[in-house]
Parts: sequence; C-alpha cells; structure tokens
Amino acid sequence: MSFRIRAALASAILALSLGAVTSAQAAGRLTAPDPDWTGGLVTCLVAQYILENEMDYRIKRVTMPSGPGVFEGTRSGDLDFACESWPSYNPAGDKYIKEFGGDGSVAYLGATGIVGKSGYFVPRYVIEGDASRGIPASAPDLKSYKDLNKYGHMFKSLESGDKGSLIGCPVAAWLCEDQKRLDMLGVDFHAQALGSETAHWAEIQAKYKRGEPFVAYAWAPHWIHAALDLVEIELPPYDEAKWPATNWAQDVTHFHGNPKMLDEHSDVVKLLQNMNLTNEMQAGMIYDIDVKKGDSEEVVESWMEANEDIWRKWLP
Amino acid sequence: MSAVVDDQREPGGFESFWNEHRGWVITFVLLAVSLVIWKIHGTQTIFPQSWIEAFPFAQKTDEFDQWIRPYIQPTTRAIAAGAVWLYEGLVDFLILTQWQIVFVILVLPAFAYGGLRLGLLAIVGAASFLVLDYWDESMETLSLMSISILISVVIGVLLGVMASQSDRFEAVIKPILDTMQTLPAFVYLIPAFYLFGIGPPGAILATVIYALPPVVRLTNLGIRQVPAGIDEAATSFGATRLQSLLKVKIPLAMPSIKLGVNQTVMMALALVVLATFIGSPGLGDIVYSGLVRLNVGKALEGGLAIVFMAIVLDRVTYAMGHVEQVRGGQHDHMFRLFPQGLEHVKPILYLEYGIDWIWRQIGAVGNFITLMVTVTACKLATLYDSVVAERLREILLARSFLIASLVLIAILMLLDAYTGVFGKFPRAWEYSFRTPVNQYMDVLVSSKMFYAVTTAIKEGLFYGLINPLNKFLMGLPWWYTSIVFVVGAYLFSGRALAIGTLVGFMFIGATDLWILGMKTLSTVSVSVLICFILGVPLGIMAAYNKTVDTLLKPVLDTMQTLPVFVYLVPVIMLFGAGQVSSVLATVVYALPPLVRCTTLGIRELPGEIDEVSNSFGANMVQTLTKIKIPMAIPAIMVGVNQAIMMALAMEVVTPLIGGQGLGMQVFDGMNRASLGVSLQAGVGIVLLAIILDRMSQAWTRTQREAMGLA
Repeated sequence: MSFRIRAALASAILALSLGAVTSAQAAGRLTAPDPDWTGGLVTCLVAQYILENEMDYRIKRVTMPSGPGVFEGTRSGDLDFACESWPSYNPAGDKYIKEFGGDGSVAYLGATGIVGKSGYFVPRYVIEGDASRGIPASAPDLKSYKDLNKYGHMFKSLESGDKGSLIGCPVAAWLCEDQKRLDMLGVDFHAQALGSETAHWAEIQAKYKRGEPFVAYAWAPHWIHAALDLVEIELPPYDEAKWPATNWAQDVTHFHGNPKMLDEHSDVVKLLQNMNLTNEMQAGMIYDIDVKKGDSEEVVESWMEANEDIWRKWLP
Repeated sequence: MSAVVDDQREPGGFESFWNEHRGWVITFVLLAVSLVIWKIHGTQTIFPQSWIEAFPFAQKTDEFDQWIRPYIQPTTRAIAAGAVWLYEGLVDFLILTQWQIVFVILVLPAFAYGGLRLGLLAIVGAASFLVLDYWDESMETLSLMSISILISVVIGVLLGVMASQSDRFEAVIKPILDTMQTLPAFVYLIPAFYLFGIGPPGAILATVIYALPPVVRLTNLGIRQVPAGIDEAATSFGATRLQSLLKVKIPLAMPSIKLGVNQTVMMALALVVLATFIGSPGLGDIVYSGLVRLNVGKALEGGLAIVFMAIVLDRVTYAMGHVEQVRGGQHDHMFRLFPQGLEHVKPILYLEYGIDWIWRQIGAVGNFITLMVTVTACKLATLYDSVVAERLREILLARSFLIASLVLIAILMLLDAYTGVFGKFPRAWEYSFRTPVNQYMDVLVSSKMFYAVTTAIKEGLFYGLINPLNKFLMGLPWWYTSIVFVVGAYLFSGRALAIGTLVGFMFIGATDLWILGMKTLSTVSVSVLICFILGVPLGIMAAYNKTVDTLLKPVLDTMQTLPVFVYLVPVIMLFGAGQVSSVLATVVYALPPLVRCTTLGIRELPGEIDEVSNSFGANMVQTLTKIKIPMAIPAIMVGVNQAIMMALAMEVVTPLIGGQGLGMQVFDGMNRASLGVSLQAGVGIVLLAIILDRMSQAWTRTQREAMGLA
C-alpha cells in the first residue's frame, strides 16, 4: 500500500513543480484562441510566429469555436488577444468594443490587413459549362441579380417550392438579411439558412461535386474558393441608406483583446497594429493548407522563412 | 368531445364496442375535429401580440444576467481554480508518464472487475488511442471525464441520500433534475465562459450539470426501496437514524447507487464534444476540427475513439456494480471470445484455447507473486506482532489481483526509471483511415444512383410527413392546441399536470416562440414515429433471434455513444441540409432505446405464454401479434418515452444542419451573446419535454394497471 502512497506523493510533487514552472514563465505567456477557419488560423499563426521567435513570448493556443465565446473570454481576461475578427459577423463585438459603440470591455488592437467581402456566388460551370465533366452551360447570361428570376426554376429546392432557392447566410446572428434583400431587389427567391457554417459548406460542396446549379452566399478570402471555382453575382453597390438592398460593405478585419494588453503588453499591441497581411498572402497559404493538405504550422513557417523582408517591417 | 364522454355513461349497445376501442374512437374524433378547425382557421396561428409584449422574459433575463455576473464571479473563479488544479495534476500524470505504464494502469481495472473478456476489450480500446495517434487527446478527455464523474458522484450521492430522507426535498429536487437533464447546455455556455473561464472548468461544470441527475435519482430510489422491516429491525436494536442509514440502508442500496454511477459515466461521455465548445482540449477537438473542415474521416476517427472509451468505461462501471471481484486467473468455465454458435469453428476454438491457456499461466504467476509478497510481509510483521501478521496475511491473500497488479506497475516504473527499454509508440504501428473514408464519401456523394435513392427518401419524407404535419400544427389556432393538450394532460394524469401544461404552453406563446415550438413538436413526432416503425420490428427480431441480437448490440452501442457531430456532415452531404436531414439525424440518435426496450419487453414475458398459446393452436405469428406485443406495450412505451426525450435533446443539435424549431433560437441567442434569448427557447424545450414525458408516463401507467402488471 505504501507504494501507492508514494506514487501518489510523487505525482503530486510532479504536478506542483510543473505548476511552479509554468507560473515562473507567465510573464511572457499569452493565451490566444485558434480561429476555427483556415484564413483566421493563418493570420493567427503569423502573429504567433513573430511573437514566439522574435519577441520571446510563449503562446498558449486554445481550440474553441469563434464567435461570442471568444469575446466573453477576452472580456474576462482568460484570452489575451484574438485574431481576425470580422465586424459584420460578430454582433457581440458591437456590444464590447468602444470603436464600434460598445462599452470598452474589449479593446481594439488594430487591423490585420485582411479585408473580407461577402456576396452571392454561382459555380462557374453554371455560366460557362464544364466540358471535362460533361456539364452544359445552363445559365450562360447570368451576370447580376437581375438575371436570377429568369433562371429561378433551375435553383428550386425542397423547401422553396416553385421558387428558386438561395443558400443564404447560415447564421441569423450574422445579420445578412438575405430574404429582405431578395424581396427588396425583386428577386423571387427563397433564402434558406442552413444553421451552421459547416452545413453551409457541406451543402455547397456536395452540390458542386454532383454538378448541380446553385446560388449561395459566400465570402472571401475563404478556402472554398481554393477548392471550388465560383463566380460572384453582381449586386447594387454598398449603400448604408439602402441596406439591405445592396451589396455588403468591406469587412476590415481586426485583432481584439483584453484591455489590460494596452498597458501590460504594449509591444504586442504595437506589432498587431503594424501587421499587414494581405488577402493574396493569406490566400496562398490557405491554398497550401486546404487544397494541398499541408500542415498549417509548417505552411506558415515556410512562408515566414521565405518572406522575412515583409514581416521584419512589422516588428515594433 | 363532450358528446363522446356522455356516451360512456349511457349503457347501450355501444358499451362493449366503446370499452374495447375507446382510445381509437377518441383519437379519430379528435383528429377529425382538429382537421375541421384547421381547415376553417386557414392561416398560420398568431399568438396575441399584447400578451407577448407584457412578458419581456428575454430582456429581463439579460439585464439580470449582466447585473449579477460581477458579484458571483469571484466565487465561481475560485471553484474553477480548484477544478483546474485537479485536472492539470491528473492530465500531467497521464500524459507525462511513459505510455506503457499508463496503458497497464488503465487496463487492469477491467481485468479486475470484468475478467478476461472485458480486459481484452479494454486492451483493444486503449490500443485504439495509440494506433490512431490520439493518445494525448484521449488522456485529456479521460481526465476531464474522471474529474467530472468524481464530482458528480460525490455531490449526487449526497443529494440522493438527502432526497431519500425528506419527501419535501425530493419534491423540490425532482423538477430541478429534469431541467438539468433537458436544458440544452448551449444555453449556459456563454455565461460559463465568463464565470468559470475557458477550458476545463467550464466543461466540467457543463458535464456535471448533465451527468448528475441519474446518480441522485438512483441513490434516492435505492435507499427508499430498502424494506421498512430492515430499518425497523435496526432501530429496535438501538441504532440511531443516522447509524441505520449509514450501516444498513446505504450498503443495501449499493447496487442501485452503482447503477447510477454507470449511467453518469455514459451521460458524461455524451458531452465530450461539447467540451470543445468551451475551449477544452481532448478527443472532442478532433471531432470538431474535422467537422468544420468537412473532414468526415477525421471526425469519424475521433468519434470512434470516444465510442471505445465510452463502451469500455460503461462495461467496467457496470461490472463493478454486478460482479464480485474475479481473483487472479481463477475461473471455472472455458473462455469464450465469440458469440455462441461459433464454437464449432476450428480456428476460433484454437484461438480461444490459446488465450485461455495464457490467461491461466498469467493467473498462476500472479498468485505466486502474491504468495511471495504475503509471505515476506508476514515475516516482517511477525517481528512486530504475530496477531497483526495473521490478520495481514488474510487481508493480503484476499487481494491477490491488486497485489499482483501493483507489483507489475512497480516493475514497469522501475524499468522505466533505470533502463531505456520503453520508447515512444512506434510510428509504423499507427494507422489512419481518414483518407479512405473521405474518398469513399466522395464516391457516394457524386454517385448518381445513390443520389436518386436519397432524393426519393428525402422527398417522400418531406411531402409525405414533415411538411403536412408542420402546416397542420402551425395552422391550428394556438388556443385550440393548448386546450387539447391541457385536457389530455388532465385525462391522462390529473389536475397538476393540466396546470403545468397550461403554464408551459402559455410560456412558449408569450415568449413569441409558438411557431417554433410547433415546428419542434412536429419534428419530434415525425422522428419518433419513424423510430417506432423501424425500432419495434428490429426489437422483436432481436428478441427472437440470437444472431440478430448479437449483431445489433454493437451497432446500437455505437449509435448511442458516437457523438452526433460525427454524422452531421455525412447526413448533410448525402441528404442536403434541411428538415429532412435533421429528422434523419434524430432517428439515428433516438432509435437505440426503443429497440432495446422492445427486445426486453418481449423477452421478459413469462415462458408459459408460448406453451399456452401453442396448445390453443396459435402459430408463432398469432402468438406474437395477439398476445406478446400487446403484453409488451408498457415496455415499448418506456422506449417511446425515451425516444421522445432523446429527440427533444437533439433539437439543439439539428439546427446546425438546417433543422428548424426551438433549438434554432438557442443557437441564435448564443451567437448574439444573449442569455435571455437562449434561455427562453431552452426553457421551451424543457417544458415540452416534461409535458410529453409526464403524459406518456401516465398513459403507460394506466396501461400497466389495466393489464394488472402494476
């Protein structure tokens, strides 16, 4: 029996000493959530690479779904900072970030450089056909939202009845107002919300693989554009007064974090403010990860090694 | 309705017909009346706007939530710090210790409680973590589960004992337990972030909330079922109430309490994937990251690792409650690895002989080691006191398995400390099947023939069942639906349930959730109906045919423990997102209990039934349809009841694949960081669950009484 006690003691001491080690390093230790989409993950890994290799920080990465949970975490201080927040998808951000009219319990830490853009897309084979897969061009002159009514019958779904169906914004809280937009623009379509991003992409990918026509909401930069060949449908240019009967505004994505970051880790904030990752840079890495199935950390690391001249300029 | 009720009182020619077919007549009349009202009403029902405005539940909840948080945060954070300390200690031990040693430590309890067969299952389970290269993740999940289960059992047994001692406490705690089990965890995830922080503590909290009820219920039940005579005997011998409880009642209630622990383990494992939503590491992470990248193969790998863990833990905790400790290698009968009926196949027979022989040798070695240890220990103890030595000898010899295990672990630890024989798990032994799974998915998705089949199923379900029922329930005036349910509750159960039903329906209406509530009701009805159509025949087949039963068991186990998130993506890819897919996913989840209860119900009928009915010249089909199925109805209804509960639990998962109903609001509230919006929809689900549960239970009880089974 005494062996068991000793083993228990030994493991307790082990645990305690480990605790001591981690708290000793805590001065330069930051916690950040891994975004659950590839683009955001790339942005985060780039920032973390610099923090760990050039600025002597240790980053504890946490896997959790993006969205309000991340805001609650940064607000309470469990998370120090988070990467690539898209303003139009995070109503929680408006509640907490001062720059967006919130109460200031979450701090704005600078733009990432990635500019997002949402819109409606159709697969290229719908317009141009795809000889290699034997798909004829079923809607050769589909260019803008005005042409949609003409092809409504092609896009029917179970739930839409006789109308055409738009695979709309999956999450109501993203405030896309798809049905309202369609109604205001006079497009006789039914907007279907699939409930989650996963369901959205799964549905699009399955339809694409079967070569079916579809109109779907999507945004860029996103891996779906690396995997599938999609063409954007024209919408009236963005106009705040006419919203939602217009296209989306550009999403200038940003870093945000706990307010104490501003005082305690001003060097980190400086780096995040200086950082300017472009859509093209990110798209290249997304392609390597999602289409060429590379390991995300290795892909970012080799990009960092090859592009030192770019990111050296961001250092505080 | 009233005319129908009057009929009952008037004696007449109808009387015998009425008594025999009362249920059908009422159902038929009700359906006809409802259809007429639906036709007259015409449009979608609208709950009075002024009532909705008078009841700003979501807004008030949000205000309260924001106000109270800063006051309770210090307390919750202190609790969280304790949980983190426990978790990190355990996880560090499991991950940093050499894997061979942890492997042995994990597998030994299975051998100890379940013998060779369970031990082999545990070896397969633990090996799957290594082979799939998910060892660290498995250890994280295992630590999280162990701590959650430990906390649940400690608190649960305490609450259960308290409930067994006070009727008033029991009455208070029962609805709370129901709510804990049916309130979707997504409702309190966002506040949990703030109060308990991200990572393990929040996940432990959510798991404890969900897994606590069964152990409370079964502890309470176990103690209450101790015959009153035993208690009286104890008191007459001068035992105080506390002594009688601790020394007599709780020991007698142990089997029931152990069953509660077993149930708690299974409930806790159902929340593994959810833990990821709170930023907690482990196997759920693999499933989640596979899911969001549409990597079906990866999600399946993670899911299977969870299934293995769940099945092994389930069997081990079940064995702990049922079997006396199997000592060393002692067992009387020949070991059987494969189901009966295969014992004539030569290779299997040799394999079984081989395993049996090895097991006996290991047992002999184990007994020898124990003997050595005992002799040495007693020799040493004799120097001190010979009486103590004699007692020590008895104690040690009775624990041969434990001693042999400790010696084995000690040898492994010494080897690890002083030699370099243990390495990492060899890369060459690792195996990943995600690529073939994904390729197979691709083939299925693009297959024209398969698509034609899925489309036919989809359209049939949608036009045949889902859409009409949706339109029907949403078109019925809200007051009519409420009246039907309230009267039903009164007739089935009594005044209390009728009042509860009324309050429940008014709450759903006044929070502006009527339409979504009706959608939930229709999805649940369609899902349970399909479960019934598929599950009852399967259950009957399994009751009659041993092969079907053996084949079905692992499938059902997997269906029940495979995290639902694993099959969400394949369901969308094959059937498209929408209501049909959510019904199908619900059926997969809710089917197993119905099949199990049906099998059990038919099997438990007395054997004489067959003989009697055969002697009257009935064939097997007649015996089954005229006697056995009617007699098994109470058991089947228990299954239906469980299927309803599980279908309602799925309500919060199906919105992820386009399901519509109250669950959608729960997610919407979560995405807007509004506790009020999630909570009111969550409470709506809880209310529907409790109403449907109580009504079906009351109905089953009257059926049982009518058959004289109660």
